[in-house]
Amino acid sequence: MEANLSVKIVGFFKKAGNAARRDWQLYALLLPAIIMVFIFCYLPMYGIQIAFRDFKAVQGITGSAWVGWKNFKDFIDSYYFVRLLSNTFLLNLFGLLWSFPIPIVFAILLNQMRGKRLKRFTQTAIYAPHFISPVVMAGMLFLFLSPNSGLVNKLIEALGGQARNFMLEEGAFRTLFVGTEVWQHAGWNTILYIATLTAIDPGLYEAATMDGATKFQKILYIDLPHLIPVIVMLLILNCGALLTSNTDKAYLMQTPGNIPKSDIIGVYVYRMGLAESAQFSYTAAIGLFTNVINFVTIVTVNWVSRRLSNIGLF
Amino acid sequence: MDALAVKRTRKDVIFDIINMIVWVVVLLLILYPLWLILIASVSSAEAVIGGKVFIWPIDFSWVGYEAVFEHQELLNGFVNSFIYTVSGTALSVIVTMMAAYALSRKFAGKKLINLYFIFTMFFTGGLIPQFIVNRELGLYNTMTIMILINCVSIWNLMIARTFIQTSVPNELYEAAVMDGANHFTYFFRVILPLSGTIIAVLCVYYGVARWNDYFTGLVYIRDKALLPLQTVLRQLVANVKAMGQSDALFEFFGDSGTRAEIVRKAEVVKYCAIVVSSVPVILLYIFMQRFFVKGVTIGSLKG
Repeated sequence: MEANLSVKIVGFFKKAGNAARRDWQLYALLLPAIIMVFIFCYLPMYGIQIAFRDFKAVQGITGSAWVGWKNFKDFIDSYYFVRLLSNTFLLNLFGLLWSFPIPIVFAILLNQMRGKRLKRFTQTAIYAPHFISPVVMAGMLFLFLSPNSGLVNKLIEALGGQARNFMLEEGAFRTLFVGTEVWQHAGWNTILYIATLTAIDPGLYEAATMDGATKFQKILYIDLPHLIPVIVMLLILNCGALLTSNTDKAYLMQTPGNIPKSDIIGVYVYRMGLAESAQFSYTAAIGLFTNVINFVTIVTVNWVSRRLSNIGLF
Repeated sequence: MDALAVKRTRKDVIFDIINMIVWVVVLLLILYPLWLILIASVSSAEAVIGGKVFIWPIDFSWVGYEAVFEHQELLNGFVNSFIYTVSGTALSVIVTMMAAYALSRKFAGKKLINLYFIFTMFFTGGLIPQFIVNRELGLYNTMTIMILINCVSIWNLMIARTFIQTSVPNELYEAAVMDGANHFTYFFRVILPLSGTIIAVLCVYYGVARWNDYFTGLVYIRDKALLPLQTVLRQLVANVKAMGQSDALFEFFGDSGTRAEIVRKAEVVKYCAIVVSSVPVILLYIFMQRFFVKGVTIGSLKG
């Protein structure tokens, strides 16, 4: 037994030594990326333990007192638990309902557009908002919706209505958030679909034309079936992200008025952990709680999809 | 194709007309807000506040831009963002390409290293642990973190790896090895010169992400002199305080004029600041545009 084991160990090191001699240059090329990911992704995972401690900066990460599940219990028992979870989930769900189908429709319609230059121009135009920063996007909202000088309210007043301060209205938050999301990214998100459509064998369309198919029929019977794998794959990705937070944008759009709806998990973690108070351990626990849920969701969704359709991410 | 086009049925003609109408509406919805920002930025404050600017600039003036270029914090932010973006992007692209090449080849332990990278796409430490660890590393309030954080995007790494795998034929490697090349020389002499498209795409992705990021500055920078542009811009345009006639504007514009004047001027300055802060990204977009569709789809479709 033991001799067998030692032979195995020696064998392993021999193999490793050979690999190191043969491939050391590849490892060297990988090293910078490995180090970066280690510092900015894996070291923070080591820091997760503060979620189980009562972190005090002077005592350091490992020196702070261990409190077990206390922070998690506090979160689950708190008034904010349901509010944060439902805000985050609903915002993502509404986002998915609008942001997901529109690029598919856009791609199909764009593909049917006549005239190469027109097509090219349209593509350039609809990709452009994708590159606008969240700060500028939120700034545009504040400017256009301003109750005193914003164009939207001028228009409402001209039509005989009352100017409203939409950015302070809790009921407007999700619409504005999802609306700007669609405005910014629907065009860009067509790219994968368009690529799929352009890869379809033109012979299929020609044959369909011979058989007297209309454009609508071609979309239904040629385009859509080709798009299904991409659609399913992207849907998996999106479903796995239903509890993630678009903290950047939500925090920018948050006002005292819309806070009951705009307080999503990521924003709350930032506010309570860093901006307004320093409840490090409590917010780290909230972060870990949602990360675990997200991780489990994506793995489950992927597994189910593998089972049902043989399409999966990993 | 032309022969077929002639034979468009009546239904197809109707389809094309509806399609055209849809796109005219969509393009208007997408382009009008951008146009509005542009014309408001060169109109007078009175016209903008009065809501008179709709289609064309009114009372054309550069006052807003002059104010932006006199604004020390904005200018400083612009320079900082430029430094962070250029150095950060250069580093990201080279680190990503090196790793992408290595991952495109066979070697012992490749599966493990793949897992090491991909796991971070699905599980992270979270904001607070990351903050605490980085602070303990002495990275809080430094230029270093603004350049190094998010250095490698795993998504970009996978796109680049797939690009190298699919568009550089393996015969080239065999030929190069015959000529005595090792991995280093092959990477620098063959892979990099053949990867123009994907390098352009990576530059755009990394560059835009870094330029547009305000949150890292918000979290990690305390010193005003180190703030990136977007974080400074946020105080000016995307903030409840910036919305009304609040004292935040006074803090920003100092003592140049009366309250009413400042409030009026600030309104136009916001539009100008938005335009100025977006110029680098727009330029990048225009120059790199032709690479997008090709680079993006090669990388991700077959991945």
